[in-house]
Amino acid sequence: MRNLILLDLILHRKFLLPFGGIYAVWVGFYASRVESPRLSVFVSTFLCCIIPLMIFTREDKFKAAAVSCSLPVTRKQVVLSRYVLGWAMMLVVYAVIVLIAAAFPGGKLKTGDILSLNSIFLALAFLTIFFSILMPLLVRYGMVGMFAFLIGLQVLGAVVLFLSARKILPFSVKGIIVSIGRALASLNAHLGAPGYYLFLVAVLLALSAASFALSLFLFKRKDL
Amino acid sequence: MPNILEIRNLSKDYGDFKLKNVSFELPRGTIMGLIGPNGAGKTTVIKLILNLIRRDSGTVRIFGLDNLGDEAAVKSRIGFVHDTPLFYDRLRLKNLKAQVAPFYEKWDENLFQRLLREFDLPPGKIFAKLSRGMKMKFALALALSHDADLILLDEPTSGLDPVFRRDLLSRLSAIIQDETKSVLFSTHVTSDLERIADSITFIRDGEIVFSTGKDDLLDRWGVIKGGNDLLTDETAKLFKGFRRREFGFEALTDDAAAARRRFGESVAVDKVTLEDIMFFMTRGDRRV
Repeated sequence: MRNLILLDLILHRKFLLPFGGIYAVWVGFYASRVESPRLSVFVSTFLCCIIPLMIFTREDKFKAAAVSCSLPVTRKQVVLSRYVLGWAMMLVVYAVIVLIAAAFPGGKLKTGDILSLNSIFLALAFLTIFFSILMPLLVRYGMVGMFAFLIGLQVLGAVVLFLSARKILPFSVKGIIVSIGRALASLNAHLGAPGYYLFLVAVLLALSAASFALSLFLFKRKDL
Repeated sequence: MPNILEIRNLSKDYGDFKLKNVSFELPRGTIMGLIGPNGAGKTTVIKLILNLIRRDSGTVRIFGLDNLGDEAAVKSRIGFVHDTPLFYDRLRLKNLKAQVAPFYEKWDENLFQRLLREFDLPPGKIFAKLSRGMKMKFALALALSHDADLILLDEPTSGLDPVFRRDLLSRLSAIIQDETKSVLFSTHVTSDLERIADSITFIRDGEIVFSTGKDDLLDRWGVIKGGNDLLTDETAKLFKGFRRREFGFEALTDDAAAARRRFGESVAVDKVTLEDIMFFMTRGDRRV
């Protein structure tokens, strides 16, 4: 697995160092301009998880997966190395973003807002959700699949809102959004309790494990 | 002689193409040529051996190990060259080598450097800037530098000049001399196989037509040439394939001696080449 991680890191170093650095600074600057800590965390984590995903799409671009998988590795090792590297990159990039957001002159966020335990757990939750959903798509369908999913979600959202506005849908979209909002607000309100942290960590681990199992299942069936 | 590779009833269905119950063995210390027309399934077989595509059924045992259950251990002893050498093409050769070498315990850096020199490959050159032949040479250098026990070559000589092709064939012959290593070599350049192969496996439309010793094949089979009056419904059944021309016919037989006995002096019986076999068995007429 170590060799696979090094392989990815070295292969993409020319992309990572300049682009990843500038990107992290830019997102950090952007995050410092947002007044709501939760919105700042949400946007930063999403943009942060794009970095490892972009790296993994580069293998599609070079069509080099057949060579990587001809080396003495199993498909499980390939997928596991992607998850480990992906998480390591997201954590490093997010740490840079947070530091920049906290230290940038004229920022609208207080340092305590984005470095609090709540914000850190919220960031972990968002990172897990984004990465866990997008990785299986990326592993199986590549860059096209991932973007098709993201665009598809937006189109679906637009269609649902359109139908909802015309009262064609048999359910209330607003009610669903409000319920989700309440659930998140409730989770956020209780995050201070150790039991909730443990519960959240357990859920995130379960989500990551499910995502890894799905990615592995899909990758084992992928013809290279 | 124990087999280094054993394939049993290997099948793969792509929808528009099916590999059907492919079975053959590659004995230790031999070179096998895998021949067949375009789209016959040669690359599919090699990819299935490397687990690059998912098989529908069948087994592949390499060094006595299952190629899925012991995937990493098996692959560490395989040197491979794909028909299209795809690497991260913006990297220099020395950097590409630095990516691949750590995966192999038996990586021989001195041998790799020597091969680079002998193949005229500049380590500082960017992979994308190499010609197809040079890319193939680089893939070969990687495949030959870790003391692999099984070397899988998918169309390795395409794009190579005749001088280097001969050089490569000599190297492959040298590799199997200690009788512990084997080579599976897919190619359209059948003359290469006539020089070095010990056995030939012919695949057509996803099915193995035959898998046999090369010398036996070339000794036993023949090309018959005779007048069109000799080619009837009955005699056509004796042939693997034939071609009728204005002034006579040519036909492929798997028993040249029997054909001589049957037709006597009225036909000429020529020695067969692998190219003849491929031609008659893929493009020759089937009906009189």
